[in-house]
Amino acid sequence: MTDQPRQDRQFGVEPKPESFEASGTSATDRRKALKLMGAAGAGALAPGFGATYLRGFEYTRSVQAQGSSPVKVGFIEDESGNLSVYGIQKLHAAQLAVKEINEGKTLKGGPDIGAGGLGTLGNVAKKPPTISKEGVALDVVDAGGDKSTTEVVFDEDADVFIDSGDKGILGREVNLLSVDGQSNNALWQQLARRLIQQDKVDVLVAGFASAEREAIRPIVDQFKQLYFYTNQYEGGVADANTFCTGPVCEQQVIPVVQYMVEKFGPRGYTLAADYNFGQLTAAWTKAFAPLVGGQIIAEEFVPLSVSEFSQVIARVQQAKPDWVMTLLVGQNQQNYYPQAAAAGLKFPMASTVNMAQGYEHKRFKPPSLANMHNAIQYQLEVPTARNRAFVKRWMTMFPEDPYIGEMAQNTYFTIHLYAKAARLAGTTDQATLKKALELGWSIEAPEGSVFLEPGTHHCAHYIRLAVCDENHNVKFVRDWPSIQAWWLQRLGVNLIRHPEYKQYTPDEDPYFKMFLKKS
Amino acid sequence: MSHLLKLLTGPEDIGRSRWFWAAFVAVCVFLFVYPFWLSEFEATNNAYYLLNVPIALGLALLWGYCGILSFGQVAYFGVAGYVYGIVSGNMIGNAAGPIVGSLCGLAVCALTAAIFGYFVFYGRVQNWIVPILTLVLTLLLETFLGQTAGYQWRVGTVQLGGYNGMTGIPAFQVGQLVVTGYSFYYYVLIIVVVGYLSLRVLVNSQYGKVMLAIREDPIRTELLGYDIRARQLVVFVIAAVFAGISGLLYVQWGNYITPSQVGLLQASLPVIWVAVGGRESLLAVLLSTCALNWLNYTLSSEGYQYALIIIGVLLVTVMLFFPDGIIVTLARELPKRGWRALVGLHKGKAG
Amino acid sequence: MDSFATIVSILYQFATNGAFLLLSALGLIVILGMMNIINLAHGELMMMGAYTASIAWHRGVPFWLCAILAFLVVALFGALLERTIVRRFYGRELGALVVTWGISLILSQGALTVFGPFLPAIPIPGGSIALGQYSFSVYWLTVIALACVLIAGLWALYNYTTFGLQARAAMQNPAMARALGVDTGRVYMLTFSLGAGLAGFSGALFAPTVSIAPFMGQQFVAPAFITVVVGGATNVIIGALGSSLLLSLIKTPIGFVFGAFVGTVALLLAALVIIRLMPDGVSAVLQRLIDRRNRFA
Repeated sequence: MTDQPRQDRQFGVEPKPESFEASGTSATDRRKALKLMGAAGAGALAPGFGATYLRGFEYTRSVQAQGSSPVKVGFIEDESGNLSVYGIQKLHAAQLAVKEINEGKTLKGGPDIGAGGLGTLGNVAKKPPTISKEGVALDVVDAGGDKSTTEVVFDEDADVFIDSGDKGILGREVNLLSVDGQSNNALWQQLARRLIQQDKVDVLVAGFASAEREAIRPIVDQFKQLYFYTNQYEGGVADANTFCTGPVCEQQVIPVVQYMVEKFGPRGYTLAADYNFGQLTAAWTKAFAPLVGGQIIAEEFVPLSVSEFSQVIARVQQAKPDWVMTLLVGQNQQNYYPQAAAAGLKFPMASTVNMAQGYEHKRFKPPSLANMHNAIQYQLEVPTARNRAFVKRWMTMFPEDPYIGEMAQNTYFTIHLYAKAARLAGTTDQATLKKALELGWSIEAPEGSVFLEPGTHHCAHYIRLAVCDENHNVKFVRDWPSIQAWWLQRLGVNLIRHPEYKQYTPDEDPYFKMFLKKS
Repeated sequence: MSHLLKLLTGPEDIGRSRWFWAAFVAVCVFLFVYPFWLSEFEATNNAYYLLNVPIALGLALLWGYCGILSFGQVAYFGVAGYVYGIVSGNMIGNAAGPIVGSLCGLAVCALTAAIFGYFVFYGRVQNWIVPILTLVLTLLLETFLGQTAGYQWRVGTVQLGGYNGMTGIPAFQVGQLVVTGYSFYYYVLIIVVVGYLSLRVLVNSQYGKVMLAIREDPIRTELLGYDIRARQLVVFVIAAVFAGISGLLYVQWGNYITPSQVGLLQASLPVIWVAVGGRESLLAVLLSTCALNWLNYTLSSEGYQYALIIIGVLLVTVMLFFPDGIIVTLARELPKRGWRALVGLHKGKAG
Repeated sequence: MDSFATIVSILYQFATNGAFLLLSALGLIVILGMMNIINLAHGELMMMGAYTASIAWHRGVPFWLCAILAFLVVALFGALLERTIVRRFYGRELGALVVTWGISLILSQGALTVFGPFLPAIPIPGGSIALGQYSFSVYWLTVIALACVLIAGLWALYNYTTFGLQARAAMQNPAMARALGVDTGRVYMLTFSLGAGLAGFSGALFAPTVSIAPFMGQQFVAPAFITVVVGGATNVIIGALGSSLLLSLIKTPIGFVFGAFVGTVALLLAALVIIRLMPDGVSAVLQRLIDRRNRFA
């Protein structure tokens, strides 16, 4: 292993056979030599690899710039049209991330460290007991200090924002090519084709609604484009080219339902938007409520065009549940909250979408969202030091922004993650990078530690239970430091061994109906 | 044959002289040849502009030549797309799948239009209500399709997909040749040219003349002994089939369709294209559709947030100053008055 | 007590649905029903009213005054629109349709560009009244009452005032009206402006119950058009009242039993069927009934 910048020796491992070479692209010597990434991804970790990772930072400094051609990040969001409330936030997140990368900053994190990573809170006792072994008996030599106090290993690590040792990515400036999809699916398809075929972007970060993602996924698959989908969604995408860094149903539905059942009682009533996300999330709620002792007594699916809810409210009142699961999406359906409050509807509410995406608690007057509970992965109010630092950086760059929602935060850390993976791989070649990402990555996002799982291309997230009170102040009453996206694992998805290009639905999971109470 | 030629060069569309036809042929040849200088992406992009032409032509036929404004042409666009997706999706692996799917799509379109048209025209609904009725139909279709997300909403092996849309729709296939990229461009180009020419023949024919009479004065036409309801129905079905052709081409281009393709905004687009070009001329509509689609794409891909405002302003300006459509008015005035035609046009003939 | 409360709840839902349809259609009754202008910018006029109300409310203006202010502002805008654009489209319904669609695009996208993705909300005034397991919003009850008052006022305006007489004359036979000394140009402007103002007023009334965003107008467009069209042109005001009652009568029980989706579908299907069976609208049927009764009286 030498220090020379000769690329074929970069990681001290013999080049592996042809099978891992990037398909379809003209392989340069540099790229051929990086088949080792495929080797690493398949689990054949060479001994020198770990050491090389730690040296990776100083290594990239000595790597000669790959010409001065910029790294192109393709970005499609809705900056006008109905979904612009969310699209503009995501654009700002991307702009912030790109600026930070170009200034030589990154977030702490690395590959193969496992869920939890560097910043996990750990417990330690100030004065632990000392144990000595006498034969098979374990004797307590010193009982230690007060058993009731523990301390935290890492104080909430505000310093996750560190220097990358690099200017841009591998010395190349990062350019954000952002276009406006105007909430129009056909335009999304055209723009995706343009970014992929004509501008030849190195990575594509796009999509708010599932429809938008599904519109461009065939194009992504046709050209084997590396694609990140950073939004919360209904789950199930198993696509070798796509990495989903947003939360999915099992990470949010089950925690919040468990909390509601514990606190308010077992009878839940679901109000969901009448389209894929609403229907699938409602199906999750109904199927898994029995596992935590609850039961959904009735469901109502409201078309996206409905904006007047007196009938819906009357039906809820007739059913008399203990709590209401509101999975309402879109401008029209948000009107439910003020109308329900005005009608005097006092049931506690649970959701997986509200507050964190469309910041209804800031847009509507109290007490519309009183007693709203959400198992969030991120929202602006997360009370950790690292988040406060992140919000401050954001507001310095975008002082007019009204909120930072979860999909904005996801976009932010995803782009940083991409930069880290590229630095490790030493290239922006997409096939190689997909293999690099399939190492499994831990990154210290503003929400907490996020872990990108190798086989499913989804992330384990830090989940907190947010409660909105009658003055629309937010408090976090419970947290789960890491919840995996386990559903795809249960379905047997391993995109490294068996590449797929589809989206699974709950009907393909036999466990889904197993515990459903016949009502 | 000469009769056909006479029909082609009839008075009901712009351009009759030999110079016009020479130019027309030259442009066609150019369009056939210039993909050799284009990348595959640019060819498919241009194909996207072209594939919107049939639905606009159908609407021009219905509105400009027969006097009936339908706000719901996109409903047939969507129906054809979804039916094609279902049929060919269930026949994957079978080379005849796409062809069967296309035929089924068009057939279902025609059937739906026939039923709806019967409902409307034989009910002698007032003319200005038709746009609203067709709009309601479109909204109904969108609402229905939007809630088909569940697994139970599938036909054979193909899921309807709700708002996530139907994905993985196969491309068109002729024998062993899969039509994508450059071949797709030629496929669309041929369909558009043939469609335009055949509609041109139709409007100049005897049948077309009666159609125009219905537009001018339905009662008089009826008094002359023609069954206007039947003719309106037939024209409505033809327009729907053309909308269906656009729908087929769209899913064969993008392999994907969602209910938002039959939504309110999409429903208004053909009306805008036809109004801006000039509804009384098929050629004008053909040109304006391509131009407006190109404009929309260029504005949005350059990061312009004002694309929709610009289109709105364009629409208002056109309706104020070129009430018959930009191209139609220019075609009418330029030969008469030259460049002075561009001045004081709003004082011209009221539409 | 329980079934009594349920009956009251159903009545309340019926009234709310009807009031929603009627208020959505209020401005359009005048513009479409009387002037025959297919105004696709109707939703955006309501949006303007809501925006005016929100901006005024957040400057401390009491809510009822905000609504009146919304009426005035949008009426003024309507007058401007009429003078510059709309008057060239009298008699050209389809042209009016296209140009108003263009105006709606400009207004909604313009609102997005100028004001951002949403405006701060107005809290719903008034509390709620409970009855059994149900509770009803005081604000909606007020709105229902207001809708009745407004429609009665509109009826009175058009049938018992000079302006109303002149307006009806100008609509029926402009040449004759002009010959009799009616300034038709001014009448048209005032009528359009009234229609716009009413749309703005409705928008302001709806403002506390919806999120105030650039595209909020779109949710009212379809209900408004359906109500006016089903009402018919024979007598627009009575027609709109009749059609909103009829449509609400269909939607309410279905929506209560089967849910919002089926309710919406039922409404659209009902509209299609009614237009087919009564092409001239509800008002024509009512008119025939009244005539028949007068003949045999």
